[in-house]
Amino acid sequence: MTTVAPLLAARGVSKAFFGNPVLRGVSIALQPGRVHALLGENGAGKSTLINLLSGALRPDGGEIEVDGRAVPRMTPVLARQAGIAVVQQELSLTASLSIAENIGLGAYPKRFGLIDYNELAARAKAACELVGLNEPLSTPVGHLALGRRQMVEIANALYRKPRVLILDEPTSSLSATETKILMDLLERLRGEGIAILYISHRLNEVMALCQHVTVLKDGTCTADRPLAGTDAAGLVRLMVGRDPGDLFPKWQPAVSTTTAITVRKFSAGLMRDVDLDIRTGEVLGIGGLVGQGQEDLLLGLYGAIPARTASATVNGVSGLPGGVPKANALGLAYVPADRKREGLHLIHPILTNMMLPAFARLPALKLRSRKAEGETGRSLAAQLAIKGDLQRPAQALSGGNQQKVALAKWMPHDPLVLLLNDPTRGVDVETKREVYLMLRAFAAAGKAVVLLSSDTPELVHLCDRVAVVREGRVAAMLERAALSEETIVSAAMGAGKQKVAA
Amino acid sequence: MTAWNDSAGGKRVSAILKSRPFLTLAIVAAVWIVASFVSRGFGAYGHLRYLVELGAVIGLVAAGQTFVVIAGGIDLSVAAIVTVSAISLPLLSWQADTTGLVSVLAVLALTTAIGVVNGLGVALLRVHPMIMTLAMATFLQGLLIIIAGGSAVTAENPLVHWLGNARPAGIPAGIILWIAVSAIVLTVMHATPFGARIFAMGANPLAASLSGVPITSTTLAVYGISGFTAGLAGVLVLGMNGQGYVGIGDPYLLASIAAVVLGGTSILGGLGTYAGTIPGAVLLVTITALITVVNASPGWRSILFGSLILGLLLLSGREQARR
Repeated sequence: MTTVAPLLAARGVSKAFFGNPVLRGVSIALQPGRVHALLGENGAGKSTLINLLSGALRPDGGEIEVDGRAVPRMTPVLARQAGIAVVQQELSLTASLSIAENIGLGAYPKRFGLIDYNELAARAKAACELVGLNEPLSTPVGHLALGRRQMVEIANALYRKPRVLILDEPTSSLSATETKILMDLLERLRGEGIAILYISHRLNEVMALCQHVTVLKDGTCTADRPLAGTDAAGLVRLMVGRDPGDLFPKWQPAVSTTTAITVRKFSAGLMRDVDLDIRTGEVLGIGGLVGQGQEDLLLGLYGAIPARTASATVNGVSGLPGGVPKANALGLAYVPADRKREGLHLIHPILTNMMLPAFARLPALKLRSRKAEGETGRSLAAQLAIKGDLQRPAQALSGGNQQKVALAKWMPHDPLVLLLNDPTRGVDVETKREVYLMLRAFAAAGKAVVLLSSDTPELVHLCDRVAVVREGRVAAMLERAALSEETIVSAAMGAGKQKVAA
Repeated sequence: MTAWNDSAGGKRVSAILKSRPFLTLAIVAAVWIVASFVSRGFGAYGHLRYLVELGAVIGLVAAGQTFVVIAGGIDLSVAAIVTVSAISLPLLSWQADTTGLVSVLAVLALTTAIGVVNGLGVALLRVHPMIMTLAMATFLQGLLIIIAGGSAVTAENPLVHWLGNARPAGIPAGIILWIAVSAIVLTVMHATPFGARIFAMGANPLAASLSGVPITSTTLAVYGISGFTAGLAGVLVLGMNGQGYVGIGDPYLLASIAAVVLGGTSILGGLGTYAGTIPGAVLLVTITALITVVNASPGWRSILFGSLILGLLLLSGREQARR
């Protein structure tokens, strides 16, 4: 194995942004026929390393090697020619183009100088079949759910028949079935001799899929070794530099009999005729395959999309809020899944982001107090361990810290119901634990939490009840005693009760 | 030097020195100094005062434009609204209104309402701001031709006359009006929740809406403000000119957008300040005057405007990629 030259390697690379070192002397070698895991907390330098490997950034020191030969000036074009394909964490698709056009983007087959759409369709279809995309190829990507878009992104990488495939958190928005398809696919690609670099915060996937692991912590490499003989707890220790403890907090049920939100025959978006009671003091999980209408349920309750209902009571007021400002006034708060697009104002200071719900509610022409805003911001930052200058734009923060800001901005309003849309997507272990603690503390204080999650263990370990949504309806309402990954997944996939027993 | 830079006050000073409003102001000063060497009369107090007075009209139109651009839109109807204001004011005069205040207020209400209609189209009908305001401008121009025809109308309004000609304490009333409006605009923009909502809406409308920002009413307000300030500019221009005619507002559309962009406000929305638009407006009239003084072709004015906008953008760093 060691005699084979790695397809792609970094030798002692360093990179600093504005004098701030992000990577220091990191080496990594991607061997053919091996799935290589890259682990590390948010901000550890994983994305930077990928950008160096794919030529998007130039290292300050060290070398990038392809097939054992140093490439002095790696560029994205050279990387593509060398057969390196990257599936980015931030989706980079063009919403108005079709699935086929997105998959072929930048490498359209040509005939007489024009795009050969028949050839494109044939080749895109082949890529789609690999990842289990069965939507019509002419569907605009903007119409697809997040998870399906991720599959398009992967198909786009496969379309170029890569020798090296780099995947940055590919499963963070995938459902259990889609994850399974991807795992099988990667296993097959590995068999074909492709080198795969796999980044994920889900350790069970890493343990099942990968053969070799590199762990980054604060820009240095803390481990580079075969995965065999390593356990998950050991990996976490390498990432955070201390004992992991339990990811999920211990908690006592605090459910009361009063309901925060009651809806009957609720319809919004994909959701049809749902009856739901959300009690104070509980964490109600919303599970299911991606794109079954879960998000519409939250957005409908929040008044962000039109909703109909036979009857509804929200915190003692009858009727749905019907608009976000009204929902806020009734004590509802919503934290979106796509924090960059829906949750934050990336170009604005962290402090302004934190204060926005307040600006939305205060009388329009009341004079602001910069001093009071600064104090609120500092106390929120201290509470949620958000480090650094609050005047920096939010885009300077790592993903986990951005998520904390998206949560923090609601805290001064003391919401009664917290609607969360996949709050731990693409967030590191340490931040996850902090978020979990916060949610349980929130429930213990007699508030209601609705937690939509694509991470099944989260639903099992954190929720009092889980509503599993399938095809726009609540397919099953699982009580805590009945919660397990198996029951949730089988309800999500519509497997009958006997099949679960068998 | 480093010690000075590291201190908090030093940081603030260097931030101001690097800011676009300051850069634009510095260019204005440089042009004034150079021009006063070229032409004796250019640097005279009276001439500079006259330039600022001319800048006041652009500055007023650009005040509303700055709000609209920061909120992520654009208002192409400002020139037509200036003309509406300057033409309808003489027509809307009452005998009983001896000070002229009532007709001025009536005209401002009318132009604000036009702005609000722009806002309704943008917010509720979801028409792109460029299309909505362009359609509004075209509609208004047609209406003005029907109502006023080709003839100029003379204003007999005492308040308007005072605004255009009076000089309390030696300062033209137009400049005083501009200073007052600037103070209000800067306060609303940077020191009220309403201002913060506008920045949020321009930077990311979806995230703003999910954070509880009332998008519809804020959009109506922003375009309403633009209608109001364009109307105010029309009143001032009528006072300075004595007569209103179709086309009197035409120079102020591109000038207002140029002033906003020269002042460093992002045309993509979400970033900027009226503090930059103010020197931007003065810079525009200064260059026009300079071209006149050196007796060059008016073509040079446009060439200079274009080069300045591009040059300033390059100097202060191009718009950052947004995702």
